[in-house]
Amino acid sequence: MNRTAGGGLFSLGYALLFFAFLFGPLIIMVITAFNSSSFPRVVPWECFTTEWFGVLIANQRLMWGLWTSLWIGIAVVALSVPLGLAGALALADLGPSWRAGLYAVLITPILIPGVVIGISTIVLWGAIARVFGAGYDSVIFNGIFLTLLGQVSFIASYTMLIFISRLQRFDSTLTEAALDLGATPGQAFRKVLLPFLKPAIGSAAFIAFLASFENYNTTVFTILSGNTFTTALASKVRLGTDPSLSALAVIIIALTLIGAMVKEADTRRRERLRTGRMARAGVYASPLVRLVAHPAAVFILLGALAGLAIWQGGRHDASACRAEILREKQETQQRLLREQQERMRQFQQQSPAVAPAPGNNPSPFGGAFNPNSLAPPAPAAPPAGANPSPFGGAFAPKSLAPKP
Amino acid sequence: MTALRRIFSEMTSRHGLGVALFVAGAVLFWVLVLVVLPQIAMLDYSFRHNLPRAELGGPRDAHTLANYRYFLFGNGAGFNTLDMGVLLKTLAAAVFVTLLDILICYPIAFILAHSASGVGLRLMVIGLIVPFWINEILRAFAFRVLFGATGVINGIGQALGFWSTPVDFVRADVALYAGLAYAYVLLMVFSIYNAVETLDRNQIEAARDMGASWWRVHWRVVLPIAKPGIASGATMVFMLTAGALAAPQILGGPSNLWFTQLIYQWFNDAGDWQRGSAYATILLVVCLVFVFLMMRVFRVSIAAIGR
Amino acid sequence: MTKDVVLDHVSIRFGSYTAVDNAHLSIQGGEFFSFLGPSGCGKTTLLRCISGFVQPTEGRVLIGGQDMRNVGPNKRPTALIFQNLALFPLLSVAENIAFPLEVRGVSRKNRRRRADELLEMIALPGTGDKKVHELSGGQRQRVAIARALAADPDILLLDEPLSALDLKLRQHMRTELRAIQQRVGLTFIYITHDQGEALTMSDRVAVMNAGVIEQVGDPKTIYNRPRTPFVASFVGETNRIPGEVVSQHGTTVTLSTPVGPLAGQSGGGRDHAPGAACQLFIRPEQLVVAGDGASPNRFAADCTAEEFEGSVQTLHLKAAGLPLRLCRMNAGNVAVAGPGAGALTLSFDPEAAIVLPYGTEADAAA
Repeated sequence: MNRTAGGGLFSLGYALLFFAFLFGPLIIMVITAFNSSSFPRVVPWECFTTEWFGVLIANQRLMWGLWTSLWIGIAVVALSVPLGLAGALALADLGPSWRAGLYAVLITPILIPGVVIGISTIVLWGAIARVFGAGYDSVIFNGIFLTLLGQVSFIASYTMLIFISRLQRFDSTLTEAALDLGATPGQAFRKVLLPFLKPAIGSAAFIAFLASFENYNTTVFTILSGNTFTTALASKVRLGTDPSLSALAVIIIALTLIGAMVKEADTRRRERLRTGRMARAGVYASPLVRLVAHPAAVFILLGALAGLAIWQGGRHDASACRAEILREKQETQQRLLREQQERMRQFQQQSPAVAPAPGNNPSPFGGAFNPNSLAPPAPAAPPAGANPSPFGGAFAPKSLAPKP
Repeated sequence: MTALRRIFSEMTSRHGLGVALFVAGAVLFWVLVLVVLPQIAMLDYSFRHNLPRAELGGPRDAHTLANYRYFLFGNGAGFNTLDMGVLLKTLAAAVFVTLLDILICYPIAFILAHSASGVGLRLMVIGLIVPFWINEILRAFAFRVLFGATGVINGIGQALGFWSTPVDFVRADVALYAGLAYAYVLLMVFSIYNAVETLDRNQIEAARDMGASWWRVHWRVVLPIAKPGIASGATMVFMLTAGALAAPQILGGPSNLWFTQLIYQWFNDAGDWQRGSAYATILLVVCLVFVFLMMRVFRVSIAAIGR
Repeated sequence: MTKDVVLDHVSIRFGSYTAVDNAHLSIQGGEFFSFLGPSGCGKTTLLRCISGFVQPTEGRVLIGGQDMRNVGPNKRPTALIFQNLALFPLLSVAENIAFPLEVRGVSRKNRRRRADELLEMIALPGTGDKKVHELSGGQRQRVAIARALAADPDILLLDEPLSALDLKLRQHMRTELRAIQQRVGLTFIYITHDQGEALTMSDRVAVMNAGVIEQVGDPKTIYNRPRTPFVASFVGETNRIPGEVVSQHGTTVTLSTPVGPLAGQSGGGRDHAPGAACQLFIRPEQLVVAGDGASPNRFAADCTAEEFEGSVQTLHLKAAGLPLRLCRMNAGNVAVAGPGAGALTLSFDPEAAIVLPYGTEADAAA
């Protein structure tokens, strides 16, 4: 009947579905961080625990990687922001034909697959090292140095895009006005254009750091034998998972949310200041509201909440619950084992030739020692390969091991 | 050369000599040292034999097509169907993921541009960005938690009695496609949004007024405007998907390789950088050719990318 | 101190397009000089050339007798007021005004003092700490002028600075600009497409068309003695009657026209051969409804419409198929002529009419 309302309802429904898709996996991951089950999962729920955070922090390789990543990130910001700015400035001053050509060249690093960038970087510098006879201990074979170059080559394209969009809104008569009023070209750049670009420099630095910190495809090649946070994380995920990664996700999501909220408070405050609505809007007349809405206050408040959560979480002890679960599990295992042996005996009496065939087991971890396979849902013993999970088997032996 | 000098002197008079020198130096360094030279080095390397260090520069260190021949024919006489199959499968999967993202993102971009407003819009934008501040690896990990044999979906499905044995979503590549589609949603949404946003809302209303159906309004009015945005987003999503490494490593089934994984294996497992370079070159060329072909077909210029 | 500006055969070309064609004139120190012309006539290019953003392709620009070739905009004794004012949005009002002092290395305290003085002068005291966007359009205008004056220029260049303002403010700012110019005594070079602005404020006006300066003169000469058809029709309203030269005695030319023989002054003192095709320009306010007495240049016309604006009455007339307009002050009687009043007899003073040849390119820089 009312088509607009219909469209609105559809929009709302679709938006909800979309954001469920966006946030669902993250929320579930967050929940698994607090389940004591040693494989990250929500069901069956075992015990509420915070121990995975401890496991995470105890992971030396990850923490070293974090340190490396921070340094690389800072260096990437320091290099890619000026490069991106230079690219944007060059494009702004070029004629149309040169502009299109240079734009294509400077934008391709975004399109080139990350692995290709990584490979081409190490190959080039390997060749340079051979030409100069540099040894394996020289800076050229330093993974951090190579990672820096590899990452900057495409992250500078990102920062350039940010600067281009900011420069498009620059009124070039401002530079002319400064020149006309006696400023040297350098002064006009420093006093007029650079202050105008300041917000873009901030967001470019942020994007560059994030892109550097997150990067895997290029870094996994250029870091050589070293590790950044992301490559360490990836090898950990590939080789078997435990909920300490979920714990990491919780930390990152919390930081992200705090950052987003502070940023939002800040943008709103700026907007109010700019439009002068602060004085007029009724809500902001109250000094209390104004104080609470201040970004610094938001930051302190959220930081305090997070601190409280950490303190509370640190005091939580799930060992009693875990012991209980463990005992139940062992009992179940014992019972299943007995039943299984019973059934096997009967089975072998019927057809002694059939044996489990572990050969087609797709799991790299080898499902053969998977206790789950000893508890088949079907009465007949299936081949171990029936467990399709490549990692499902990995956790079970650990869960049987007594926890200290 | 004179054109370059003129540009340089123009820049000097506009921003000063210091800025002009900085811009010229930085762009030169970036284009040459960071972009062009590495690609040339990789290309050169892909035409070489994998020799021990002692033999480098020796008589056997000559250019060869062996690495490319291997990609086409393998060691034997027949075609190397395995590796070529992996490349084709990767491309097909990337196309699939790209189409999936267009389907998912077009409505949300339209809603962002023309239905949402005020607080709702800001919340949606934040909601879109926040998930992508979280590490790519962790996002893939989340999908493994979701789709693993003992993962949440299997857990719920079994608990509700929809199926009794765990469904292997990983082997069926469901986890991989979902994870890849998820990973690049943001790029696609904002690409389409930027294009659709420029559409005057009155045009939609005028079309509605004249009795056009929703379907028709989108097909005739919105889609033409969204086209460059879709092309830009699709290009980026396709290239990123085809070049993805982390997600296939984490979410890919055990018997299921992505082409980047082959490259990775040549480098890190086999230690054959030359062949790895050849494979990387193949990936790059095939992807770029594919993208430029598509741009030709849909009449979009590269200048639209990244807007 | 004031300096004169000399344009010495200046031509400016962009590729094959000629923006300014052989401009040759001199502007005296302390003069309020306007360039008047339609948009795209090259007047802004000429201004940017004087301020140093554009180099002349041919010819020279001299300021105070000094050749300005290779002198950058920041080294010239000129200050330009941009069409969009180009106030720095991130700086406060006082910082904007003090910007020219800041880049010259004047101390913060002295900068602020000078800014406050200038704010006083433009009647905006106490607004120094405001942001630019908090000011109204007219206030911004004045801040832009103050900022330009802070650079202590000898010549102030203004690029249609009033075009963004509404009508009332524009009229007010005209008087104000003229007053400021007389107070500071600088050379003002003003660019406009609005003939009202040019005529009210300027000491002299240069009328430009398609890159060519058609006429330079004081406002009255420009209006009453146009030298080219373009100047005659662009500056103010005018009636145009085509004809053929019958004879010329001194500066008085007699034409045979569709409405009968008419006499006028030869524009620019040209000599016209008998039989040459010419046109006669007569301003609407110079046309009068003639009485019965003997008067020159009499012809008949029909009134087709009337516009009554109170003080001024405009009659739309038709004479031998030519549309004409006549303007007169309201005489106060109710029975003024209007449509349907039958044929009127019109007349005008031969001294007030200008006879010009066709074509605009003639006499460009004469």
